[in-house]
Amino acid sequence: MWNKKFALAIGAAAVSVLAAGAAQAQGRDLVVASSATYAPFAFENKDKQIVGFDIDIVNAIAKQQGMKLRIVNTPFSSIFASLNNGDVDFVISGVTINDKRKQSFDFSEPYFDARQLIAVPKDSTVASLKDLKDKKVSVVSGSTGDDVMSREVGKTSGNIRRFESTPLIISELAAGGVDAAIGDNGVIAYRVTQYPTLKTVDDASFPKEHFGIVVRKGDKALQDKINAGLAAIRADGSYNVIYKKWFNQDYKPQ
Amino acid sequence: MDNNTPVEWFGWFRPDILVEYKQMFWQGAMITVGMTVACIIMGCALGLMLALARLADTRHQPWKAVCKYLLRWPSTAYVSFFRGTPLFVQILLMHFAVMPLFVHPVNGLFISGDLARTLKQDHGALMSGVVALTLNSAAYISEVFRAGIQSIAIGQKQAGMSLGMTHGQMMRYVVIPQAFRRMLPPLGNNMISLLKDTSLVSAIGLAEMAYAARTVAGAYGRYWEPYLAVALAYWLMTFMLTLGLRALENHLARADRS
Repeated sequence: MWNKKFALAIGAAAVSVLAAGAAQAQGRDLVVASSATYAPFAFENKDKQIVGFDIDIVNAIAKQQGMKLRIVNTPFSSIFASLNNGDVDFVISGVTINDKRKQSFDFSEPYFDARQLIAVPKDSTVASLKDLKDKKVSVVSGSTGDDVMSREVGKTSGNIRRFESTPLIISELAAGGVDAAIGDNGVIAYRVTQYPTLKTVDDASFPKEHFGIVVRKGDKALQDKINAGLAAIRADGSYNVIYKKWFNQDYKPQ
Repeated sequence: MDNNTPVEWFGWFRPDILVEYKQMFWQGAMITVGMTVACIIMGCALGLMLALARLADTRHQPWKAVCKYLLRWPSTAYVSFFRGTPLFVQILLMHFAVMPLFVHPVNGLFISGDLARTLKQDHGALMSGVVALTLNSAAYISEVFRAGIQSIAIGQKQAGMSLGMTHGQMMRYVVIPQAFRRMLPPLGNNMISLLKDTSLVSAIGLAEMAYAARTVAGAYGRYWEPYLAVALAYWLMTFMLTLGLRALENHLARADRS
C-alpha cells in the first residue's frame, strides 16, 4: 500500500516536472528542486506546502528578478541527478559548496553561512569543542559533526552516540542521555528553540562552510540572475527579514 | 604493510575498513549477545506470568470476577498492544518518551539528579532497549506458553486429578512437562527473532552490532563490507542458538522414550 502511494507520488512528481519543463520552454516557470525534510531550510508544513528559509530566499530572488518558480520536493539523494537530467532548472536545498561538487555543477554566491554548532543544557559549563573531550556527545551518523568528534576523541570511542537525524540527537540531549549534541548550525539552532532547557554554544574554531544555490555546469545566464537577485535582497534588507524569521536573530557575517 | 593503504579483495571488497573498526564490532557483538540472553530470560519469566494470567479461572464468585477483570482482561490488553504495534515504534517511545518521564536529571518521577544523569548517560539506551525488547517478546512468548498449556488434552488433567493430585501437582507433573516439549520449537523461533530484533536498538544510539555497521557505512559510504560482516555474524549467532535448541529437543525426546 505504502509502495503504491509512493509510486503514485513519484509519478505525480514526474508528470509535474515534465509539465513544468514544457512550460519553461514556452518561457514561463522555472523548476526548482528542494528536499523538504530539512527544517528549517525546507520542510512540509501541515498543509503539505513546502516552506522554510531556502524557500523564502529562492522566492524573494525570483520576485526580485521577475522569474516564475515551481518548487518540486525531491529526495536529497537524487537531487543532483534531477539537475543533470534536466528535470529541474536549479536546486536550493541546504547544499554545502565544496570543491568536489564544483567540478560537476556551478554554484551561486553563498546564501547561508554554515558551521557546526554545539547544543548543551542551560546549566552546562561547556564553552568550546575542547570541553567535550571526555563528555558524551550525540551526532548524526556520518555527518560533519561526526567527523569533528571522531577527530577529537577517536571514531570508535563510546563517548560518541550516533543517531539518524538531527531531531533525534536533540531529543537524546533533552532526555539527559548525553552532555552535548553537535550538528549543522541552522538545524541545531532551530531545534533548540523548541526546548526551554537547552542552549547553543558557538565555537569559532569550527571550519566555515557555505550553502549555495546549484545550477547546471555552464548555465551562466541563470547563475548571474540568481546572484543579482541574491545581492539585491541582501542590499534591500529582505534577506535579513527572512533570516530573522527562521533563525530568530539578525544575520551576522561569519 | 602500511596502515593507510587500502587492501582490496576481488578488486572492490575492502576488509581494511572493518579491521579499523574491529573493536567497535567486537563490543557490539558482546552487547547483542548479552542483551539477547537478558531479554530471553526476563521475557520468558514475564511471558509465563502473562500466560497464566490469561488462563486464570475459578468456579466461584467473587473470584470469577477477579480473574476476569484483574487478570485475564489486563493481560489480553497487554498482549494485544505489544503484538499489535511495531517494535521499532515501541523502542523509540520507550527511549524518548517513557524513560525520560521516570528517569531524568532534572525532573524524573522515580530517579532524578546526578544518579539519573549517570544512569542515562552510561546505560540509558541499553536500559530502554532491554525493557522494550523484554516487554515485546514477553507478549509473543506468553502466547507460546498459552498454546502449549491449552494443547494438552483435557483427559490428561482428568487423569491426574483422578489419581488424587492437587491442581498444582497436576500442572507440575503432568501438564507442564508435556506442554514444554511442544513449546520448544516456537520458543526457539521467538529467541531467533529476538536476537535479530536487537539490531533495531541502534536507532536509539546503543552501540550493538548493527550500530557498528551503520557507523562504518556512515563514515565510508560503503555498504557491502560492514553489512555483509554483521549479516554473517548474526547468522552465526542464530545458527548456534538453533543447534542448542535442537540438542535440548533431542535430549527431551530421549528422556521421554526411556
